[in-house]
Amino acid sequence: MTPASRKVVVARAEMFRQVRDFFCARDVLEVDVPAIVRAPIIDLHIEPMKVDGNFLITSPESGMKRLLAEGSGDIYQLGHVFRKGEKGRLHHPEFTMIEWYRVGMEYDAFIDEVLDLITLFVGAKKVERLTYAEAFLRHVGLDPFSASLSDLRNIACLPDEAKAWEREVLLHFLMGFVIEPGFDPEKFTVVTDFPTSEAALAKIEDGVARRFEVYHGGVELANGYDELTCAKELRARFERCNSLRDEPLPQDEDLLAAMAGGFPECCGVAVGFDRLMMLKFGAKSLESCLY
Amino acid sequence: MATVGTNDLKSGMKLKLDNEPYGVVSCELVKPGKGQAFARVKVKNFISGRMLEKTFKSNEKFEIADVDEKSMRMLYTEQDGAVFMDDKTFDQISVPFVNLGESKKWLREDTLFDIVLYEGRVIDVQAPTFMELVITQTDPGLRGDTASGRVMKSATVETGAEVQVPIFVNEGEKIKVDTRTGKYDSRVS
Repeated sequence: MTPASRKVVVARAEMFRQVRDFFCARDVLEVDVPAIVRAPIIDLHIEPMKVDGNFLITSPESGMKRLLAEGSGDIYQLGHVFRKGEKGRLHHPEFTMIEWYRVGMEYDAFIDEVLDLITLFVGAKKVERLTYAEAFLRHVGLDPFSASLSDLRNIACLPDEAKAWEREVLLHFLMGFVIEPGFDPEKFTVVTDFPTSEAALAKIEDGVARRFEVYHGGVELANGYDELTCAKELRARFERCNSLRDEPLPQDEDLLAAMAGGFPECCGVAVGFDRLMMLKFGAKSLESCLY
Repeated sequence: MATVGTNDLKSGMKLKLDNEPYGVVSCELVKPGKGQAFARVKVKNFISGRMLEKTFKSNEKFEIADVDEKSMRMLYTEQDGAVFMDDKTFDQISVPFVNLGESKKWLREDTLFDIVLYEGRVIDVQAPTFMELVITQTDPGLRGDTASGRVMKSATVETGAEVQVPIFVNEGEKIKVDTRTGKYDSRVS
């Protein structure tokens, strides 16, 4: 084993221990839900990998939510997830995710807990909290909720190709290429109040999704929700995603049935473990943090 | 017609964009949280050599350009073109002089050229980077030339190209030339 690869193995082991200590001290139980499932979480922009007619999990969300529905209480999972085609400086088709759920915890307190975990690895930073609309106003000069399609298409920094793009594509582009890179790299930036089209599995209240993202050092580290608890609404969202996807996916009937039987009010989040490691060690890409 | 998706783009791939052949120089995935993925791609036009930066959405499909790069041997020149042969298949193609660009100056029989074909049509012919060529004509260097600061003189090589050579090089001698710049490199003994 080379000294460089030895360093990665030792650093990861140390970080695993820190994550487990963090949750142990907070009485959050570790779980290990199955990695192979009959139906994946349906998301417009996440592609699951197929194995033997089933799917590899893109996050442990479904299995964990079934445990929550059965009354597990606070749980976390530290493990590998799989996403087809995601390969780049900040992406890898197989990566390690820390996902956890807190039953009955207040949304703001939960965001603080997420920042506590991140702080463990990258140190304490000033926190800047922005709504999605504020982030756009500050970095693009437009309100994403009221701007017209032509306003969005005419933003100077867009490539020529963008003139033909639809609203949601333009918003994603601006987020990925202008706003996220524009966040203060020294601070934790927490973005909240996403448009309902970006709600994923978060509750919608007052016309915005109770979803948050945490960024630091130009990297998206966490994506969390005040979790949707209504099975009917969840089915409707899966159906909407499926109608927009090139290839529809099977509905997760086990999760829908479990939620229909009652689901606790809770907050949940997914944090990219390898990205945390990248920032902790000042690495340039995810690749150097993997075995 | 073969196609690839944005996720499959890799450097070195050849794509047909706006009906022209491009080579992928680099490709970077950008994916905002939970959002649409984009590929920021640098491509180089095989014909013009121009570099472009493009941003593609994750669900776009690209046609693979039918670009074939091969090494072909120059057999002979005709009235208005040169004939090249593929050493493996013995396929022969005739390329008009007007399509040879700068390489026309370096045409020599039995020399391997790098040829790029797009949809069966020759779009680029590159001479070997360095060629060893016999000087067919040059005036003798005169004593005193160096004193007046004149250290180079004009020479014609066997392919017909004019090359600036040091005054001590004589007709009939062989020199090494960098065909990218058309400059004298060294004398070959």
